[in-house]
Amino acid sequence: MFNLIRRDIIIQKNQLFIFIPFILFFIIMGAQPAFTFLVASIFIPFNAFGYDEKAETNILLNSLPYKRTEIIASRYLGAIVYMLLSIGLTSVALFAFNKTFTMTDVVIGSGLFLLFVALTFPLFHIFKPGYITTVVLISFILLSWIAGPVVSFISNHLTGITEFFASLSTPSLYMGATLIVIIIYALSWGISTVIYERKVF
Amino acid sequence: MENVVELINVSKKFKGFSIKNIDLHVKQGFVTGFIGANGAGKSTTIKMMMNLLRPDAGEVKLFGLDYQTNEKDIKERIGFVYDSNVFFEGLNLKDIKRIVAPAYRRWDDTLFHQYVEKFELPLNKSIKTFSKGMQMKASLAIALSHHAELIIMDEPTAGLDPIFRRELLGLLQELMLDGTRTIFFSTHITTDLDRIADYIAFIQRGELVFSKSIHDVTEDYALVKGRIDLLDRDTEKAFVHVHRAPTGFEALTDNTTEVKEIFGDTVVMERASLEDIMYYFKGGIHHV
Amino acid sequence: MQIIISNSSKEPIYEQITNQIKSSILSGELQEGTSLPSMRQLAKDLQISVITTKRAYEELEKAGFIYSIVGKGSFVAEQNLEIIREKKQRVIEEQLNAVIINSREIGLPLDELQQLLEILYKE
Repeated sequence: MFNLIRRDIIIQKNQLFIFIPFILFFIIMGAQPAFTFLVASIFIPFNAFGYDEKAETNILLNSLPYKRTEIIASRYLGAIVYMLLSIGLTSVALFAFNKTFTMTDVVIGSGLFLLFVALTFPLFHIFKPGYITTVVLISFILLSWIAGPVVSFISNHLTGITEFFASLSTPSLYMGATLIVIIIYALSWGISTVIYERKVF
Repeated sequence: MENVVELINVSKKFKGFSIKNIDLHVKQGFVTGFIGANGAGKSTTIKMMMNLLRPDAGEVKLFGLDYQTNEKDIKERIGFVYDSNVFFEGLNLKDIKRIVAPAYRRWDDTLFHQYVEKFELPLNKSIKTFSKGMQMKASLAIALSHHAELIIMDEPTAGLDPIFRRELLGLLQELMLDGTRTIFFSTHITTDLDRIADYIAFIQRGELVFSKSIHDVTEDYALVKGRIDLLDRDTEKAFVHVHRAPTGFEALTDNTTEVKEIFGDTVVMERASLEDIMYYFKGGIHHV
Repeated sequence: MQIIISNSSKEPIYEQITNQIKSSILSGELQEGTSLPSMRQLAKDLQISVITTKRAYEELEKAGFIYSIVGKGSFVAEQNLEIIREKKQRVIEEQLNAVIINSREIGLPLDELQQLLEILYKE
């Protein structure tokens, strides 16, 4: 299992040289720290999926002594591992550039990342290879596009809900949000496993 | 354990193509060649053996185990070579080994390096710069380095030059020396099999036509040539398929003794090559 | 032990092997108790399938030319050369009888037949 997670690094050895300038670019551009965390986290796991959309890769992985459930588990666990690594690296970079960020940024960034993973990973197994990169790209743009207006729409029109959220104490808000993210993530994991189990190579 | 692979009444349906009730047994310690035209169902059958595809009906057993409960144990004991490169194209052999090796409990690094040396494979060049033959050698080096008991190969010789094909066949014979290994490989180049296959399984349009020892194949099947006027509705039954020409007929029989009884010395009988057999079966079966 | 296989021969390959090993044994080239290569080794050396050498060895064993010990391999069996010689001689007599009958049919005299035999024998 660990070996499956580690393979992403071996495959992407060369791309990792782009990774650091990529993060630095966002930092220098003065992007929101939360957004930088999100983008940095996405880099490795989604790049890996770019490789895995090839049918050959699935044939290889499934011919090796792995179970299909393990292959999916490595994706979901790997995403978390690489998210933690990316957040660490980004934090160091932010420090180095004297940019301030709060714990909230980290939490929002990672929360959004996990949601994004939960929504897109099952799609990888539904869509035909070749379309996947496009699907991810479009859904990512849509997500970042829609997220802002939706939030402002909600805050403008449904003051009741906002007040409800505002009335919650910060810890319980975090707890609730974490719980929701975990549930969605686990659900997505389950769905991906079911889809992958039935896949034909 | 006499049969390493057992397909019992296996069926799989696709749009416009299906595998129908295949019963196939692969004997331990021998080379089984799997022949059939392109699109006959060879790759589909191999994919079911590898659990890349699950049959709609029937049982697939390897080493007497089934995939539901023993997937990892089974795959630990298989070495696979596919007709196209399944390894990450941009990587070199060293990195591919780094990814594949930890998957196997019995990976043998010394053995791997022996094969790399023997096949003269560069460790630091990306695999997409390899020729077709080198890619095959690389797959083979990986397939052979974890003490696999069963080597499954899907069209390993397709696209290779004759010299390399010979080399490969020699290598496979070397692997058979210890008597515990089993090789199953599909091909549509039947001359590869004339030399080294012990058993032949022949698939056509998703159905297994036969699976028997190479001796039985040469004893049962023959090309028969004779004068057209020898043919009538009864005598024709002895043949799988008949080609007629103004100068005479040429036919394939699957029952040489019957043909000898019916025609005696009035016809010429020749050994049928695997290619002859495939060609005549393509023409359709007249009797069942 | 030398074995030459012809792929274009009408004789099946396993028969080519059995015949050549038999004659090596009968000519004394292979002595009693000599170990033969394993059938897998022989298959590799001759570049033929294992099942073919397996069949050849089985036939040789059936005919009493060799014996096998599980885990040790195959060995040349003790041959009663006298009896084999007698058997062969009987076969030769039968074949010569056929020659004589055929010669009489076309009126070929004995001295001419002898000449013919002499030429062929020396060839």
